[in-house]
Amino acid sequence: MKEYLLGNAAIAKGIKDAGSGLVSGYPGTPSSEIIETLVGLGGIKHIEWSVNEKVALEVAIGASWAGTRSTATMKHVGLNVAADPFMTLAYLGVGGGLVLISADDPFCHSSQNEQDTRRYAQFAQVPLLDPADPQEAKDMVMYGFDLSEKFNVPVILRPTTRVSHARSDVNVDPTSSTSEGQASFGRNPARRVSLPVHVRPLHRELLEKQAAMEEVLASTPWNRLDLKGDHGVIASGLSALYAEEAILSLGLDLSFLKIGTFPAPSKMIAAMLRHVKKILVVEEMEPVLQEQVEMIARKVNPGVEVLGKGDYISRVGELDLLPVKEAIARMEGISPETRPTLDAEKILPPRPPSLCPGCSHRATYYAMHKAFGKNAVYPSDIGCYTMAVNMGTVDTCLCMGASITIASGIRLGGVEEPICCSLGDSTFIHSGLTGLLNAAYNNARITVTVLDNSTTAMTGHQPHPGTGLTATGEASVPVSLEDIAKALGAGFVEVVNPYDIKATIDVFKKAKEYQGLSVVISRQLCVIKALKAGVRRKPLSVNENCTGCKLCVEFGCPAIEFEGDKAKINNLCIGCGVCASICKNNALDVVK
Amino acid sequence: MRETQSVVLAGVGGQGILLASEILAKAAMAAGYDVKTNEVHGMAQRGGSVVAQVRFGAEVHSPLVARGTARVLGSLEQVEALRFWEYLAQNGLAVVNAQAVVPVTVSSGSAKYPEDVEARLRRAFSRLVYMNAAEEALKLGDIRAANTVLLGAISKGLDLPIDAWQEAIASSVKAKLVDLNIRAFELGMKFH
Repeated sequence: MKEYLLGNAAIAKGIKDAGSGLVSGYPGTPSSEIIETLVGLGGIKHIEWSVNEKVALEVAIGASWAGTRSTATMKHVGLNVAADPFMTLAYLGVGGGLVLISADDPFCHSSQNEQDTRRYAQFAQVPLLDPADPQEAKDMVMYGFDLSEKFNVPVILRPTTRVSHARSDVNVDPTSSTSEGQASFGRNPARRVSLPVHVRPLHRELLEKQAAMEEVLASTPWNRLDLKGDHGVIASGLSALYAEEAILSLGLDLSFLKIGTFPAPSKMIAAMLRHVKKILVVEEMEPVLQEQVEMIARKVNPGVEVLGKGDYISRVGELDLLPVKEAIARMEGISPETRPTLDAEKILPPRPPSLCPGCSHRATYYAMHKAFGKNAVYPSDIGCYTMAVNMGTVDTCLCMGASITIASGIRLGGVEEPICCSLGDSTFIHSGLTGLLNAAYNNARITVTVLDNSTTAMTGHQPHPGTGLTATGEASVPVSLEDIAKALGAGFVEVVNPYDIKATIDVFKKAKEYQGLSVVISRQLCVIKALKAGVRRKPLSVNENCTGCKLCVEFGCPAIEFEGDKAKINNLCIGCGVCASICKNNALDVVK
Repeated sequence: MRETQSVVLAGVGGQGILLASEILAKAAMAAGYDVKTNEVHGMAQRGGSVVAQVRFGAEVHSPLVARGTARVLGSLEQVEALRFWEYLAQNGLAVVNAQAVVPVTVSSGSAKYPEDVEARLRRAFSRLVYMNAAEEALKLGDIRAANTVLLGAISKGLDLPIDAWQEAIASSVKAKLVDLNIRAFELGMKFH
């Protein structure tokens, strides 16, 4: 039976069909819908949003070591957070099959970098499956559990944005079934305790597995060799679909090797290289496959010309059919099609993503800037609020939780201006806590603002420990952010409602004067969540007092426009009322 | 007619582009085609330009539409049609909703919304349907059906049978809205 499924939903089906008893993860585009879909499907013993990716992977490892098939999901940069357990897990091995899903984001559609998870697989020497579409993603994740158990290693599934967020007709008939046994932890220190004396032989064992893993992976249906003409193309994952379509549409007689697994099948690559005089390697981001092809070429056919990264295929951004077609055409000496351009592009107003109408982050940042002034330093973090970069209160964004530690470093490095950093509630819980403790311990006199909209908004409103709900909607311990802040050593902790601009400015001023570590928790439910929960406030309108000073327009809310010589509130207004308190002329009223 | 057909749907986050692409994809599936679509999630969705790409045929490889190959470009916002102009094939059909959604860059005064959009659209697209989908949807009593009106107009540029469209609409919207959306679709079909 076929169903029209999002790539991540297809992966979720595969996880369920493979009998994974535990699934953990931290939200991150483009991976978040995997766990959300699983919650809807039901039938998994335990599903959780963990507080961060390291925690998620460790929970999955625990389940695996107790014999339960387990899955950890995250975006590519999440694997950096989980890298510590991940690297040693490759030595120690699994119990029940363990699949780690790390979703890459070429072009940084919604990410801070475009690192390539295939490098991590090489680094840890574990197998990686590189799906081209939702069907392959589903089939591969199911296979991943078997492979993990067969070789006693974790297996990575690496979808990219265009696989995770593609939709297509997917065959959802279960292709295998597993019976779930009773979980039990069997004591085995030599494989579970990473003492030097234990891990030295395990490192050797991991290296010795490599050839056999590659051999088994080579026989999977995701690697396919088609020898034809003496020029060829080797492509991996999604890039193989672009390459195949390009070859068809150009009507060329090229040899073709599709790669779907890493370590890549070296015998198939060697067979290809012996057959051709010239070869183009097509892959997104890093030249992982190309390096392997070049190494094999030196052994089996040093005369072969290997084309790819640098000159033919970009290492930056994502590929699509057109650049791949152009690269293949160029290899074959076919002149490129010329394309017309449209001069209108110059007059198009940019339409970047922005904070929602009524978003409380805008109000918090407005008040923060009023209190701290333009000479203050404003380290920020990862979340919707990074989009407020034009408000003057987002001076840095590096990685999850780094706002507090960067702020500490700026202060301890000798800067004397006021420093106010900010991060969201979910980011604070993810990796702000250690930074806050460190700031207290090392006497960093900074203000930390938690932009608490009581959800993980950017990735689609997932719950976290501060919300008192689990991934599956069960009630849990609602963790108090203010209690955490006090316990970690902040001497000044205040909670404000950012829609009350005047009170918020006052609290920020007090925090600025405080001679120690201060924490301001600016709490207001995310407007999208509030609307979904049925919260309705009366919208505002502009009255005759408006002088056209544009103060409210500069605030940047999409609900405020400027028409003729006056401000105008459009139908996007949700009635937060913040613009009315900013206006100096009492020109904004709540609609009666 | 089994050659792969590509469609690009554009608009602004929140306008219903993803639902429109789902209906189109399901209609293509109901007609027996292999289908692939792609869309944006996460950061890009928050009030930014949104684009969904739909491809269907006997066997679809790439999930993305190559520039210059789309048979139809549909846009729920008028300048967004110009933004994604380069995706449309030279003889392709453009269906554009005559609605302006002012971006934050314009309301804050850092950019201008072009005044002569219709003239620019007519110069850019040799086959253009310029319609007020929102007004048509309002005639039926629900402005949210604007995206289905747009789909009706788009359907004239694609080879999909009407019953496939009806089946797709029925399986994509709430039961009580099926009739309204089918009527919205039929209204859209009258534009060409």
